[in-house]
Amino acid sequence: MNSLFAVILGIVTVYLAYTRYARRIDRSVIQSDPRRATPATLYMDGVDFMPTNRNILFGYHFKSIAAAGPIVGAIVAATLWGWLPALIWLVVGVSFMGWASDYSAIVLSVRNEGNSLSAVAHRLISPRTRTVLFLFIFFYLLLIAGAFVGIMASVLESQPRTHLGMILLVAMGLLLGQMLYRWRSGLLAATILTVGITLLAILIGPLTEGTFKGLNEMLNGITGGAPIVTYFDPTLASFKGAEAKIMPSLLFWALAICVFCYAGSVLPIWRMAQPVVYVGFWVTALAMILGLAGAALGTFVKPEVAQFRIPAFKGWNPQLGPAGVMPLWPMLFVTIACGAISGWHALFGTVGTARQIENEADMLPVGAGSMFAEFLLGLLALLAVSVGAKGSPVAAFANGLGGFISVWGIPLDYASSLAFAAFIVIVLVVTQLIFRVMRVTLTEWLGEVVPVFRNQHVASFISVALAILLVLTGTWIYLWQLFGAANQLMAALSLLLVTIWLASVGKAWLYAGLPMIFMYVTTVGSVVVTAYNLYFNVYRPNVAAGRLLPAAGSGLMVLVSVLLVMAALLIGLDGWRAFLKYLGRPAPAPGPAPARG
Amino acid sequence: MAEEKKRKKSGVIQVLKDIVYGMSSHEMTRHAVRTRASMEHLFILITMGDLLGIPILPPYYSLRLLPYVTPQISSWKRRMLRERDVTDVLG
Repeated sequence: MNSLFAVILGIVTVYLAYTRYARRIDRSVIQSDPRRATPATLYMDGVDFMPTNRNILFGYHFKSIAAAGPIVGAIVAATLWGWLPALIWLVVGVSFMGWASDYSAIVLSVRNEGNSLSAVAHRLISPRTRTVLFLFIFFYLLLIAGAFVGIMASVLESQPRTHLGMILLVAMGLLLGQMLYRWRSGLLAATILTVGITLLAILIGPLTEGTFKGLNEMLNGITGGAPIVTYFDPTLASFKGAEAKIMPSLLFWALAICVFCYAGSVLPIWRMAQPVVYVGFWVTALAMILGLAGAALGTFVKPEVAQFRIPAFKGWNPQLGPAGVMPLWPMLFVTIACGAISGWHALFGTVGTARQIENEADMLPVGAGSMFAEFLLGLLALLAVSVGAKGSPVAAFANGLGGFISVWGIPLDYASSLAFAAFIVIVLVVTQLIFRVMRVTLTEWLGEVVPVFRNQHVASFISVALAILLVLTGTWIYLWQLFGAANQLMAALSLLLVTIWLASVGKAWLYAGLPMIFMYVTTVGSVVVTAYNLYFNVYRPNVAAGRLLPAAGSGLMVLVSVLLVMAALLIGLDGWRAFLKYLGRPAPAPGPAPARG
Repeated sequence: MAEEKKRKKSGVIQVLKDIVYGMSSHEMTRHAVRTRASMEHLFILITMGDLLGIPILPPYYSLRLLPYVTPQISSWKRRMLRERDVTDVLG
């Protein structure tokens, strides 16, 4: 197998799924009508509801949904089960479920006055469903934050070549904010300056590796080389499990990330969060475009970087730790979330994108089109890790992507440095936004009852502290899978809402209902498996060894698992009742659609 | 024929420009628009008395603001009366 064949397979998948299935559903089931007024035109307020060109909206939606998910998921799945199951799930998932979830969520909002998922749940199912959905969303955000901070801290600790680039990224983001909003500089000049310096810092990163290695050693010297936390890691020693240590340097980088996210959460958005995201966008776009084109050309120009090196299939149930199980079903389907199907897309699509849809004919290219584009990003990550093969999963990804980029004549060492930086940038920019949302969510929920939560510093600090607690358990793979399960469960719940809505308006609901049933059963099953793994593989060994922090963190994760299952069951039960209610009554006669002015 | 080719080419370039703008800057634009909307809400608040016919501030200042504020009233009402929840933060 080589990367060219996989790229061709990806393009053919996108073409067939879009033209033969998605377009058909859009025409025959949803019956999108360009003459029907959308909420953006009906309720235009110039701010949230604003008709926007479909190409702009495609870029906006794609960038908002394409984060670390498609990359990390593919890396972990290929490491656990081999590249073939990961490839099959990516192709099947996006063709029959992923696009349907994204597109239908946008349709749901557009046809329901631009309402969010929770507002539609309140109207179509019950008020309780909305409350449970809110609770669900908070834990979902917490799991994303923990998983992302954990992986970034370990990459930063093990790859000192990336430090200069990341430090300069933050500095250039701050400078860009100052230039644009205070000094009123032109966007083009400010972009060239800040992105140029950041790229230069990333590329010369390998030259500064020794300096930052020295910094890590100095930090570890504070405790005389002793670890801060010792924990049982089931992923070590070829998945047999072994003692692992969290050194001061890892804690330092985890805290550095949290300080950055904290600042991003409490500072005005123009000061830090937004400009850093903007500079980061150009870095990742450059790496991804060079990488994807390099993956296609590599077979001809540099065949050694395009050949798959990891096994196609590693087994149905790789054992993770002495008591752990990792069955392909259901765990593969939550390990790769974004790229195949993701609840985040539905959540964002309803409150962000749907309110800017100018014309119903744009719903398909924007919703489904962005999902297919993200599938290609997940495919690129899978290719990179499949050809990279060396080192930890993230290192394998960076080496693989670096190999693709090196097709363009950039030395491999520098190209890998760019790939590492692109990975960290993608994760970093999302994480800071997640903390901002967590802070707002905590304030909204608890501010009325406990006034101290209205203080943005208190709410931000609590969000950061909870994420750090999860990181210090050291059980990153389980944390990732728990996040994946919550994410996929969100997708299942969004498809459930779409199914109920389709039934309520008398439309064919099977195209959304069947993926919903599959994802619902799969994700609830995966949360149960993860809770089992966490309890027997992590919580009990750590309690037996008297390790307080990892035991508390893994105990918290088991608790979150139980809450997620309970929330899903409650929403499922309420949803089933509502579905039967709508199914039993005659379809409403189609009323006149609001016409465009 | 050449004209048609040129038009198609500029169409493709425009599409690419729009997509890149959507990815890189649309969010920043939306934020700027939101900031402006909050400022307009403040203006509406300070001129509310005069809008209702009850002078609260020294009328000179609020009367000078009224011509700028009046056209915003309908979209302001829509924004203020719309039901919101925490997931709105994501958009």
